[in-house]
Amino acid sequence: MPVIRLYWRELEELVGVKRDVILKRISMLGCDVERVYEDYIDVEFFPNRPDLYSIEGVARALRGFLEIEKGLKDYKKSVKVDETKWKIFVESSVLDVRPRIAGCVAKNVKMSDEFIRSLISLQEDLHWTIGRNRRKMAIGIHDLSKISFPLIYKAVDSKFSFVPLDFNFKMTVEEILKDHPKGKAFSFILEGKEKFPMIIDSEGDAISFPPIINSEKTRVTEKTKDLFIDVTGFDENVDRALNIIACMLIDRGAEIESVVVHSSRFEVFPKLEAKVIEIERDEIYSLLGFKLNDEEIKDSLEKMRFGCEIGEKIKVFVPAYRVDVMHAWDVIEDIAIGLGYDKIIPEYPKTEGVASPHPWNEVKDLVKEVMIGLGFVEVLTFTLSNEKEMYVNMKRKAKPWENYVPLMHPLTSDHTLVRTSILPKLLGVLNFNKHHEVPQKIFEVGDVVRAMKNELHLAACITHPRTNFSEIRGYVQALMRDLGIPWDVKESEDEAFLEGRRADIIVNKEVVGTFGEINPEVLENFKIEMPVTAFEIDLSKIFDLGEIL
Amino acid sequence: MLSSIEVKFIKQLEVGKKYLLKDAADIANLSLDAAKKAAMLLQQKGYLKIYETKEISYKLTEDGEKFLEEGFPEEKLLNLLEKTKDVEELKRTMGEDFSIAVSWLKKKGSVEIKDGKIFLLSRPKIPEKDVLKTVKEKGKVDEKFVEILKKRKLIEEVENKFFEVEILKKPSIIEDYIVEVTPELILSGAWRDKKFLAYDVRVQSKDVYGGKIHPYERIIRECRKIFLEMGFKEIKGHYVQTAFWNFDSLFQPQDHPARDMQDTFYLDKYVDLDEKLAEKVKIAHEKGVAGSTGWGGIWSLEKAKQLVMRTHTTTITIHYLARNPNPPQKAFCIDRVYRREAIDATHLPEFDQLEGVVLDEKVGFKHLLGLLKEFFAKMGFEEVRFRPGYFPYTEPSVEPEVYVDEIGWIELGGAGIFRKEVTEPLGIKGKVLAWGLGIGRLAMLKLGLKDLRKLYLPDLGWLRNARVRT
Repeated sequence: MPVIRLYWRELEELVGVKRDVILKRISMLGCDVERVYEDYIDVEFFPNRPDLYSIEGVARALRGFLEIEKGLKDYKKSVKVDETKWKIFVESSVLDVRPRIAGCVAKNVKMSDEFIRSLISLQEDLHWTIGRNRRKMAIGIHDLSKISFPLIYKAVDSKFSFVPLDFNFKMTVEEILKDHPKGKAFSFILEGKEKFPMIIDSEGDAISFPPIINSEKTRVTEKTKDLFIDVTGFDENVDRALNIIACMLIDRGAEIESVVVHSSRFEVFPKLEAKVIEIERDEIYSLLGFKLNDEEIKDSLEKMRFGCEIGEKIKVFVPAYRVDVMHAWDVIEDIAIGLGYDKIIPEYPKTEGVASPHPWNEVKDLVKEVMIGLGFVEVLTFTLSNEKEMYVNMKRKAKPWENYVPLMHPLTSDHTLVRTSILPKLLGVLNFNKHHEVPQKIFEVGDVVRAMKNELHLAACITHPRTNFSEIRGYVQALMRDLGIPWDVKESEDEAFLEGRRADIIVNKEVVGTFGEINPEVLENFKIEMPVTAFEIDLSKIFDLGEIL
Repeated sequence: MLSSIEVKFIKQLEVGKKYLLKDAADIANLSLDAAKKAAMLLQQKGYLKIYETKEISYKLTEDGEKFLEEGFPEEKLLNLLEKTKDVEELKRTMGEDFSIAVSWLKKKGSVEIKDGKIFLLSRPKIPEKDVLKTVKEKGKVDEKFVEILKKRKLIEEVENKFFEVEILKKPSIIEDYIVEVTPELILSGAWRDKKFLAYDVRVQSKDVYGGKIHPYERIIRECRKIFLEMGFKEIKGHYVQTAFWNFDSLFQPQDHPARDMQDTFYLDKYVDLDEKLAEKVKIAHEKGVAGSTGWGGIWSLEKAKQLVMRTHTTTITIHYLARNPNPPQKAFCIDRVYRREAIDATHLPEFDQLEGVVLDEKVGFKHLLGLLKEFFAKMGFEEVRFRPGYFPYTEPSVEPEVYVDEIGWIELGGAGIFRKEVTEPLGIKGKVLAWGLGIGRLAMLKLGLKDLRKLYLPDLGWLRNARVRT
């Protein structure tokens, strides 16, 4: 989630109140205040509100929330529409590559440092969020005076060349993707493509190679007065980003002129008219859980900068920069925020329910009780593991999928699969605790994953200089006796244990576990110098646990 | 009144005699520490007197040990002189021992160096070696040689401190005290005429450790108890889930960053889904349901089929609600979830989450806040406040904060009402109030833990000494 740096002096000026007033209420608008400094605050806004990724957007919202300027701000009237002036022609060649383009012209922009800083950080944050790292949407900012309209948006081949930003010689598309820093950073978006999107002006010069880089020709400098903004991508996200930028420019005093895009249809941008949603009063009462009167609803909506008309239904005008509103509930949440979450009186619901623990956990508790009674200390371990720990060190063999679940892109060699047995984890715990007094008796009861399904296992270890088969058998006997389970044994082939001192536990003619003296070779693999005896039992085979969910 | 160790100590010792404390301890079958303690108490009561004596003895240094084993340098030189007299050659063979040997032999007037050659004047005696041996065997040695060997850094002083006790008197009725209560004693009733020796109740016994629940499990148990008290049903599910239940059913768009390979453990396996259900979810994503616009774009069934290590317990709650879509429902889940993260003190690739859901018709946002307030109060957090939050599948969403002494307000989990786009395609009727939090964060607060890794690779000392009261 983007963290926005808001400079106090600028924010106080744009909102019109002192910082302490802002600081007191800002988090109730919906954000996490990261840090408060003398000159600025860092605030994390939620990913559904990209309109708050600029100081202008935050000021606009705060002015409403703090009741300085409420209701819908009409951005549409600030757009000068001339369908003959700024034209972009879209050639069909680009439709397979990056089909959608939109734009606007901003005149008489005051190029202060503050403005440039804000515009660029907004552009970056929009690239990350709405743009999904420029994949779905990318924004280009140009000096209008360097461009000859009309523009053509089309696809070119890899030999097409122009002078990219920050360079003073021509490079082909191929070279840019290979050698230009931005080309290298974003070439993954165009990977495998044979044609590349290009915006070309009427002099035949490329002005932008979206979503990679602009041309040097249209570079914005401190002398720039008028801007041309292009936004390219695939769908409505293009329009959404443009709306947010256009509103921010209007807030900064720029005069926006519309751009006309001619493709299979004819569209005029930016589209800043408010969207209308009609909401039933009952839906508001029902979702919030309490009634409020029409004035309260209207007042609350206006604090959140919506327009509102009270009629048979509540008619809400959603500003064009509010790209998060998909459904009436999105607006109703804002009614609650406008009201203030701190003003809502919590009430415990009367919903009835019957308490019932999950059968796995009931068995877990039972087994724990027995193990603790037998003097074992409960431990917890990770369920993530690796082939070496789970199999190689244990002298056990397994096949991926059949026996265990391999992770696709492990982050480290320690975590490449999910454990299928708890015992290796307990040996790890013994290794970690070598310096503590013996005897040590530990156990864990928990989940393992075999063939993609969870199983409930119990494993226990004893370590001291004289532990032996007879001792561990005694504990298995005690456990089975306490749980009331008839059982039998046969000689085991599990190499993790010592031959002649290992046994499989049999319940209902099925092998459900193993116990014995740990093979010294295994102890060596776990760097343990003290004898260890152990058992592990699959509780899901002993108890009828039913379907997990 | 004497304590049992005091009696034990003095019982067999004779009045007027001096004993080494060590010997007295052996006689009484007490450890040296216990004997010392008993002796001190007895001295206070006037039964004995403790003398502290110092004695100097010598022990061999590392060089001393070496010389004793390999011979003195001068010995080596004398042997070599039979083969060569060339100084350079001797230096090469002997290294730094050469100059040591020469200087000692010169002192005794046994050798002379001329024109790069060594000449033996007389065959010297080397008594130092025998003396060294005597020192090692703790025998008596001549002061003169001690000085020489000290100078040559072959031996060093050791100061031995030892205690002696002189028995001044003995308590008169010592024989009438009972030390151990035995079955015979009880059977015979012989104890009736005697007194029992008093023990020193201040002496620490050896620590004993029993079985114990892991402190973290205790917190989980507490949470489960709270949910059960509130009338919730516990649910659980497999760690391996489809992307469909982990993401798509929760209206998480397929290009959402949280779904990246970067953040989620995917498995290279795809499984079949309930096609009818998948189709409904597809429509919710692409075109929207219940008046929503949806995300637009194309929803891929194939992506939804891929297996993942579940990233939250909501995978389980939503699956449960889809199977039990009629209100009222109250369910909770506390279980392991996975994120593709590097391990450090506060981030783990697997951790436990707690989640509660209430499904009902006539409930709303204020009831969600009511649930949170009640739940946190039961957890011991009396003061709770609410801020707007954001989660992809809830609307409205809220971030609860609790007040913790000495820390202040801290965010603890998240909550919200499931979006219509989530509940409608799955046929869930009514509103779902949901909240959740990471148990790890709770454990850090309750156990004062700074490093979460400690929970899953536990130190036995920590577990053995952990309090059972949280």
